[in-house]
Amino acid sequence: MTLKLGRQAFGDDEALMMAIVNRTPDSFFDKGATWAEDAAFERVATVVEQGAEIVDIGGIKAAPGVEIGPEEEKARVVDFVARVRETYPDLVISVDTWRAEVGAAVCAAGADVLNDAWGGADPELVDVAAQYDAAIICTHTGGVTPRTRPYRLEYDDVVASTIHDTLAYAERALAAGVSRESIVIDPAHDFGKNTFQSLEVTRRIGEMVATGWPVLVSLSNKDFVGETLGLEVGERLLGTLAATSVCALAGARIYRVHQVPETRQTVDMVWTIAGRRPPLRAIRGIQ
Amino acid sequence: MSTTVSNAAVSNLPTALVPGVLALLPRYASIEDPVADVRAACLTAVAALGPRVLVRASGESGAQVGRALLEAVGVDETPDAASATGVLVVGNGTAKRTEKAPGHLDERAEAFDAAVAADPYAVDAALAEELWADVGAFDALPGAIGEAEVLLDAAPFGVQYWVALWR
Repeated sequence: MTLKLGRQAFGDDEALMMAIVNRTPDSFFDKGATWAEDAAFERVATVVEQGAEIVDIGGIKAAPGVEIGPEEEKARVVDFVARVRETYPDLVISVDTWRAEVGAAVCAAGADVLNDAWGGADPELVDVAAQYDAAIICTHTGGVTPRTRPYRLEYDDVVASTIHDTLAYAERALAAGVSRESIVIDPAHDFGKNTFQSLEVTRRIGEMVATGWPVLVSLSNKDFVGETLGLEVGERLLGTLAATSVCALAGARIYRVHQVPETRQTVDMVWTIAGRRPPLRAIRGIQ
Repeated sequence: MSTTVSNAAVSNLPTALVPGVLALLPRYASIEDPVADVRAACLTAVAALGPRVLVRASGESGAQVGRALLEAVGVDETPDAASATGVLVVGNGTAKRTEKAPGHLDERAEAFDAAVAADPYAVDAALAEELWADVGAFDALPGAIGEAEVLLDAAPFGVQYWVALWR
């Protein structure tokens, strides 16, 4: 299915890089490196240069912490979205928010995608996406409250629950008027999931792809990688790329990442092994 | 010089020579075409052969390349010399022209290729095999390669290619 992300459309054979751009002082990986607006803008320039099709701008870290109200969240992201839009008219801009109020403001400022990492906590977010013809990312969180950690959450079948909830969210978005080709599902690794559950979702990601909805995976440097390998944040790139390979072989379409070139190389390699992309330039043995 | 029967039968028709480069096949397509110039020359030559083309190759590998080029141009293959409008000969020189060539460097390769171009009928078959040259169908060429319209004469990957056209 063609994927329409706001002003851009992408074919079935394309795997897309969504680069994380934090407008936060406290996100786990960059620890505030792009908190200053100019630093965040520099980060956008870098990832665009690296070939990312999408930037995912977030104003609130996922983990628990100081409460950030909608006014503060908007102050962090709305003008920034407008600035990025002005400089990069063709770039797909996603905003990581669960709040409809913030979603409306960023769409008005030029955002293309609403990345609702918290699984529809605000029921009006889909209406905003429909109103602005924006795309929406439908995630699975197991029903937890935004910015809480999973605690003793168990599922009869974590993949079945993930598919059930993300498809229900997708249907709700569709009913609200979001275009079918602008709806993406995301199992949301580590959100409402312990490491074993995130690993199972990774192993069985093909079942999500088989639903026909385009799948986004957000694996980058997460705790399930760290716990699996016994590595701290900052040491998880190889583990992230191994998980990325598994998802790419199954056909996940969008990769939300910190490290764009490394992930692109991994996905290109796997995409080519899978027969969805030709080699860049092959002549050996066929001269 | 010996002229074979097959050559005599079709030598009045427009004839093209192209190399049997497998990278020309659709199933071996890359994002960036490593043989773009070779392909362009081949398509130009094949387009001059009319709508029904007889393919002459030393084996199935070369024949496949010939058929793929006909398909790319949009003309038909015919097995019938009598109704053919042109002849496509698939073959190339040695594959030992450089150290990075498929067969590594053989100092004799360059002279062998020059001799083949000058007289494609007087080929030393044993040396051709030793130098990985695919000249088995060269008896179907109408004359010396140097006398044809030569669209390409190069060994970009250590393999001697000619794209030549006799109108």
